[in-house]
Amino acid sequence: MRIEFDEGTLLLHDAPETVPHAEWDDRVDTHRAQAYRYRALLEWAGQWSDGGGQATLDSGFSHAVEDAARAYPDLALTPALQIEPRDYQQAALDSWGAHDRQGTVVLPTGSGKTFLGLQAIADAGVSALVVTPTIDLMNQWHATLTNAFGEQLTDEVGVLGGGSHDIGALTVTTYDSAYRYIDEYGDRFGLLMTDETHHLAAETYLQIPEMTLAPYRLGLTATYERADGRETLLEDRMGPVVYEEDVDALAGEFLSEYETIQMSVDLTPAERTEYDEEYQIYRDYVDSHDFDLWKEQGYAEFLKRTSYDPQGRRALVAKQRAERIARTASKKLDTLDNLLKRHHDDRVIVFTANNDFAYDISREFILPCITHQTDTDERTEILDRFRSGEYSMLATSQVLDEGIDVPAANVGIILSGSASKRQYAQRLGRILRPTDDRQPARLYEIIATDTMETYVSQRRREGVSTSADG
Amino acid sequence: MLTADLARSRIRDGEVRPLFIDISDERYRETAATLIALFEDHLGEPKGELDDAIDELTVADTDYKIVQGLAKLLRDECEFEQRAAADPREIRKRLFERANDRYPIVRQPTLGEDTRKLEVYSAVADELGISLEECYRGMYADLEDNKRLVRFGDQSVRDDSDGQESTTTTTKLTGNSKQAYDQRDQTVDWLLARYNLALAQAVLYDASKMHVRVWDHFGTVFSYMKLFGLMHRIYPIDEDGNRVASTDVAAGYEAELDGPVSLFRQSQKYGIRMANFLPALPLCDRWDMRAEILDEKSASDTNQFTLDHTDGLVSHYSTGQQYDSDVERTLARKWERATTEWNIQREDDVFDLGSEVMIPDFAIEHPDGRRAIMEIVGFWTPEYLTSKLAKIRQVEADNFVLAVSERLDCSDEDFGDAADRVLWFKTGLHVYDVVELAEEYASPAGPEQN
Repeated sequence: MRIEFDEGTLLLHDAPETVPHAEWDDRVDTHRAQAYRYRALLEWAGQWSDGGGQATLDSGFSHAVEDAARAYPDLALTPALQIEPRDYQQAALDSWGAHDRQGTVVLPTGSGKTFLGLQAIADAGVSALVVTPTIDLMNQWHATLTNAFGEQLTDEVGVLGGGSHDIGALTVTTYDSAYRYIDEYGDRFGLLMTDETHHLAAETYLQIPEMTLAPYRLGLTATYERADGRETLLEDRMGPVVYEEDVDALAGEFLSEYETIQMSVDLTPAERTEYDEEYQIYRDYVDSHDFDLWKEQGYAEFLKRTSYDPQGRRALVAKQRAERIARTASKKLDTLDNLLKRHHDDRVIVFTANNDFAYDISREFILPCITHQTDTDERTEILDRFRSGEYSMLATSQVLDEGIDVPAANVGIILSGSASKRQYAQRLGRILRPTDDRQPARLYEIIATDTMETYVSQRRREGVSTSADG
Repeated sequence: MLTADLARSRIRDGEVRPLFIDISDERYRETAATLIALFEDHLGEPKGELDDAIDELTVADTDYKIVQGLAKLLRDECEFEQRAAADPREIRKRLFERANDRYPIVRQPTLGEDTRKLEVYSAVADELGISLEECYRGMYADLEDNKRLVRFGDQSVRDDSDGQESTTTTTKLTGNSKQAYDQRDQTVDWLLARYNLALAQAVLYDASKMHVRVWDHFGTVFSYMKLFGLMHRIYPIDEDGNRVASTDVAAGYEAELDGPVSLFRQSQKYGIRMANFLPALPLCDRWDMRAEILDEKSASDTNQFTLDHTDGLVSHYSTGQQYDSDVERTLARKWERATTEWNIQREDDVFDLGSEVMIPDFAIEHPDGRRAIMEIVGFWTPEYLTSKLAKIRQVEADNFVLAVSERLDCSDEDFGDAADRVLWFKTGLHVYDVVELAEEYASPAGPEQN
């Protein structure tokens, strides 16, 4: 039997009628199987060998197999930074190994899932594809993998997505890009690693593991269960949950403390006039209809109306414009100017909610800048330099994540932000760390008075304190 | 093509229908004309400004999806280019390095030693040998928003020797317009027709299977199937679309299109390929299409989507060359002048060879019903010849004859069972040699055939 990879499937030439997992394909007159059956097929044929060991003879007989499908290389890597795994990380890794390196590990956010991923790549010893839900996370994995293994790789860490299309022995990608290209590259990786793996259960994304022949698979997530119950589909494609750690068992341990200082600025007269005009258009529309905007349903109803009512459409645009005026109020730059003077010897990260404003600040104060548009390798380079101290300040429109990716800063300045409370509560605390014991880390929040931001800011801080309490 | 968020369709009773627009509707013609003018006006300008101007059109317009959809199709005809005196990434790297030793960079200096941003920009500009303005503008010249619109259709920005940018004067997107009359009106027609086609394509993004039936232009249609990587099963059909036993009595062909993994599961993985393929169908005079569209919400439900030649879709694909080679063209020309009852016809039969199809060059038909099919093997690269021979050997038809150039590095054995039916030729084919071959091997007259 000859196995060949064909667009996310396996062609099984000259296979016996008893071959499992396969269907006869009358279009090409040969047996065909889904790519993820690769390992099971080799096991059935008695040809599966794990890491150079003895081939496992599953059913006491064996078929001669010509494996033309495997296109992934072995890859011996050791993480550059030898950190001792925490107990639960080691336990998770051991359990994964005991399940033939297939399965999902459930760990709470901030417990070092990325670190576990690095260990798994070193342990599996084969080329790996890391799939993430967002371009942000993809970029973070790129930075992490480059730091850990960059010097041991002959080529760069590959990036598939966000405008890049480079495949390397280690490659990072997003669910969307992986879905689009997996039939092309499903033979190139021996380890498939999926971050936030619960997303994988969506009907389209499920085809990513199906079209990959990777014999090793690791899913990482903090929340395995889905509202629709589809996580049950993951076991067949990724293996079972091999380790699970409660949120409670780890809570509170790694959060650092910081103080929050709120500063407000006025809009300029011109900004104020425009803001009031736009806000009034929005307000009038909302008030003349009975939307309960503080409820999700009410807002959805408003959005729906905007798709067929020209006035509603105008109201939506008015709301966006008003928000933008508040976010990018020009006096925020004066306040920022003062803060940068005060903290010029500190390590400062400036957050904005939109790209244009981040670039304005980058030009004005000559700060290195990271946005969604920044190329993955430039982003990695800027963060590297921030880590090493070559850069001490940074402007960004992205929420940077986790200590392993973003080196600590002791001053954070929020110039404008989206109101997502989870986003801020979970993430800001991890980035801010005091540089010495006498001075706590600080988070400044600069908001425009008498705008929607006042409300948003209040909600955000409530979110932070709620999380810190429990 | 449109992005998925710009798709517009309605589902009713399990049928999906794109919300086609009426191309003669003045409202849309005006929108289209406004957009085209907007693009022309922004030649040489940054993409961000063009995008803002388009957004401005949709402030109180619930047809914003149509506006953005039309704009997307126009943007596909554009080229945007970075304009910078030095590599932007190099410029900013130097700026950040220099600035880092000099923080704070202040707007309002309070102390004598405070650095002003201008000092940093000038120093880096000097290092790179560019002007201060080039340094400041170049810093982020590689951002999408800062790239310049340099080409729109066949209208482009040129750098003249005196440094002045100038633009050519006409926008022509249709590519083949000899008519000098109202260019703009034609461009509007082109855009709106293209938009309706794009709406139909967007429905196919979620297609799991597609059935097509065509009654002409087989070679063109099947070559586009292959180009876009679709797998197929092919059945000959009669005038009414019923399946028939043999290609000899086929009036048309039915093809089921999907991909490798469709054997195991419903997948919309190949939907984008089907969408790419769709414009090949309106190249035919008579065609129809039925696709199964997966419902986004419930993965197991499908809706039907049907189209045919009466829907008024217009293709922008080319039908390809009429003849693949000089030998074929010459033979066709000679045939017109020759006196024989046999007729010669282009691409009439389609042989399903599994992963590919074989479409012989000609069918040679006699009024009494006798019929032979002929493939000309002319001048090919060795790789192409190998794959061609492999295909030829798979064709199972007794009335299949071949004309093969003596210059090729092959012999009788290469043609397997068809070796007896090969006509070797030196430079060109003679009509009467071909007729002789047809007389000998043509399938007999009458309806009973296999």
